[in-house]
Amino acid sequence: MSTVMKTTRDVKGVGLSIPRPDGPEKVTGKVQYVADIQPKGLLHAQLLRSPHAHARIKRIDTSRAKELAGVRAVLTAADMPYLKKKAPTRAHAVLAIDRVVFAGQPVAAVAADELAIAEEALDLIDVEYEVLAAAVDPLESMKPGAPPVAEAGTEADTSEAQAHGSVSGVAAVAKPAKAVNISQQTTLARGDVAKGLAESDVVIEKTYRVPMVHQGYLEPHAVLAQWDTTGQLTLWASTQGSFNTRSEVADVLEIAENRIKVIPVECGGGFGGKIRALCEPVTAELARVTGRPVRYVMTRREELVAGMPAPQVIIKLKTGVQRDGTLMALDGEIIIESGAFSGAVLAVGAVFLASLYKWPAFEVRGFEVLTHKPSIAAYRAPVAPHTIYAIDSHMDQIADAIGQDPVAFRLRHVEREGEPMANNQPWASNAAYEVLERLAQHPSWKKRDEWKKSAPAGRLRGTGLSLGGWLGGLQPTSATVRLNPDGSLSVLTGQVDIAGTNIALAQIAATAYGVDIDRVKITTGDTDVAPMTGLSAGSKTVYTVGTAVLQAAQDARRQTLEIAAKELEAAVQDLEIEDGKVVVRGVPDKGVTIASIGKKGNLYMSKVPPVLGVANPAFTQQAPAFAGQLARIELDPDTGEVTLHEFVVAQDVGKAINPLACEGQMQGGAVQSLGIALTEGLMYDDKGRLMNPSLLDYRKLTAADLPNIECIIVEKPSPAGPFGARGVGEPPIVPAPAAIANAIEDAAGVRLTELPMTPERIALAIAAR
Amino acid sequence: MAKQVLSFTVNGEPVEALVQPYVTLLDALREDLGLTGPKEGCGTGDCGACSVHLDGKLVASCLVLAMQARGRSVTTIEGLARGGALTPVQDAFVRHGVPQCGFCIPGVLMAAAALLAENAEPSEDDIRYAIAGNLCRCTGYTKMVEAISEAAGTARNRGSARGA
Repeated sequence: MSTVMKTTRDVKGVGLSIPRPDGPEKVTGKVQYVADIQPKGLLHAQLLRSPHAHARIKRIDTSRAKELAGVRAVLTAADMPYLKKKAPTRAHAVLAIDRVVFAGQPVAAVAADELAIAEEALDLIDVEYEVLAAAVDPLESMKPGAPPVAEAGTEADTSEAQAHGSVSGVAAVAKPAKAVNISQQTTLARGDVAKGLAESDVVIEKTYRVPMVHQGYLEPHAVLAQWDTTGQLTLWASTQGSFNTRSEVADVLEIAENRIKVIPVECGGGFGGKIRALCEPVTAELARVTGRPVRYVMTRREELVAGMPAPQVIIKLKTGVQRDGTLMALDGEIIIESGAFSGAVLAVGAVFLASLYKWPAFEVRGFEVLTHKPSIAAYRAPVAPHTIYAIDSHMDQIADAIGQDPVAFRLRHVEREGEPMANNQPWASNAAYEVLERLAQHPSWKKRDEWKKSAPAGRLRGTGLSLGGWLGGLQPTSATVRLNPDGSLSVLTGQVDIAGTNIALAQIAATAYGVDIDRVKITTGDTDVAPMTGLSAGSKTVYTVGTAVLQAAQDARRQTLEIAAKELEAAVQDLEIEDGKVVVRGVPDKGVTIASIGKKGNLYMSKVPPVLGVANPAFTQQAPAFAGQLARIELDPDTGEVTLHEFVVAQDVGKAINPLACEGQMQGGAVQSLGIALTEGLMYDDKGRLMNPSLLDYRKLTAADLPNIECIIVEKPSPAGPFGARGVGEPPIVPAPAAIANAIEDAAGVRLTELPMTPERIALAIAAR
Repeated sequence: MAKQVLSFTVNGEPVEALVQPYVTLLDALREDLGLTGPKEGCGTGDCGACSVHLDGKLVASCLVLAMQARGRSVTTIEGLARGGALTPVQDAFVRHGVPQCGFCIPGVLMAAAALLAENAEPSEDDIRYAIAGNLCRCTGYTKMVEAISEAAGTARNRGSARGA
């Protein structure tokens, strides 16, 4: 026995770098993902997808496919009478009814004994299309007279924005009557922009473009569906939110939610792309008509052609400043290409564009535009990397134009807590200022002149930085903490662990209750047994579910102490939990073990109730989190090739519940950000067909492209988060495009305004210098 | 098409399976032998999630026909740790908190094991090059490289201890 008593102040919990408990399972290949589950009688699904971006379906003949041996079902929209022509989301557009609106849209579905048979059956389905003119370019699609994408009268889908809970108080603006493909429109404005620009010494105007990119999760979308004889549907899903998946599937199939059990299987990456239902409804329908378990796993090609990528974003930005650095006015236009269905987070862009820095006058017009391309979804801090690319590229150019230090210029103008955001809500407590200040102390920033001068012959060297962040999502949630008869704790939530959050939640429970982490087990339950919870998205799991777990653990502790108080004939406030015992403070030999309290909660004829801590909080206060990133690069001006020599992430996490997991998020997010900056982009031809539908041509960064990512964890506690924690996942994907663009300008004196900043674009810009 | 008999060695054990001649080694391992450690991330040899060792060499099992493995020896992630103990590189992955979603991890570990079998003292560049065929979307690779580097050191130390 240890002679040193542990108190709740020093249990092994919050603040320690504890590896995830599922590590051994993952390094031995034992963790099961949806595609690894093989029930008896399994059927394999395949979807026939439209080769055209826009076409009328004149005829579908499935008779030959149905005759193929081993085919168990072939479905078209005609077999699903509940499908609606005005489908508000991709999930509702299960199979095309009479018109396809993007290349890759599912037209028919097959279930067969073997995958190869299902693939063969697709070739036997005859579809006659009448190809229609397609709206491919968002700027053209905005204009009156463009080929319409949605059925007239389809409502805009703002649930994504609500799910992220990011920006409130933004009114929608009615669109021009004849611009049929503008699905959402907002304007945020304050002050006299025309006057501000007219009175400015330096006006800079640029247009920034970011193409559609794919979230790139390694595990493609996958789902396994099975009905039982009583009409209950079970879905094994790769999802970021099992309750949200359940709601969407219930809505599409028009059945009660409590008839669906969603089991969230280990999710092989989501990053926003697995928030919304995609292939669950059609797989469930195939399982219903066949009476067999049906599994559908998308191919990588299908993911790239017909997944739910991040939108193309075009930002026109015009700013005016005085020569002394006084900000005068900002005029911006954000065009978000949403593909074939509405669903973009429109207002985030306006808030970051106009209120990261203190523009006294601004007007930002936001448009969501539909095109005949796959509809979009969230991707880690949706639209924030795009917006920060524009504003923080611009801030560097302004500082350069007026001869000021880029960091000092930003620090002077960055908005602080309490100052109004563009939507007139006050900025909540955040560390945007502190993060940037910390990054600017890095030796690689201080020695940027030396780095530039050190370039070998025929090479250029540069340094750039940028500041970006995320406002932090909110969603009600719930959790329970149970005391077991041996004194161990069981934490139950419905929260899908996509980012290592379960270990952080267990650490919170350990510290809040007063036991070591090895006495805590956390389980993600399915939708039949787990308390209700929201999406693992919006950087809110630790912030919100962590609060629920904290409160539930505190509740369990209170119940434990009340039971002990009766036994010890002491007041609750005099009790402490130390080394697995409830003791009277200052009298360490007088106590009862928490195991004995747990045991009495499950003893025949016992009068002691079982300890069950419960919490179900809802939230109002966001906790914005900022990251600054610094890039030290070398480039070859002849080829345009960029070599990353150093990359640093400084990020405010509020409180690092698990520093190891925080670093993992910071490093992974940074590399996704660098991919957007340097290599990634879905490329479409003028007919709306994807030209790079493979991972050979859709280029992601590899280990050989990158240096080690250095992490600086900044901790400015959030007022309301558990132990002061803030969201960690999203901020690191935001700053790299602007940081790299700024580094390229430092090295080569050229400004790249279109992503990705490929060698070709860089070399051409340098050649045109 | 008639199924054919595939006799080969998998993770040290002789195995026989009946497979269609068009089936890939990845599908035979996963669907016929129940070894679901190797993953299909792309099916076109670009992501490395399906990596296994074929006669000790690293291959993308989605690009190898199952029948090409006839009479040969295959090692999957399930066969990397023998006797229940993690290899030093697996252990380092756990301690460094490398796995996040975990989908790429079996492939990365097979690439790392192949590297360490050929090069006991890899530089950081050697490690980065060796796993460049394995895409990971979660980690940014930094902790991966650190873990492999540390495991290589562990392997060296043990080697010298045995030699002494």
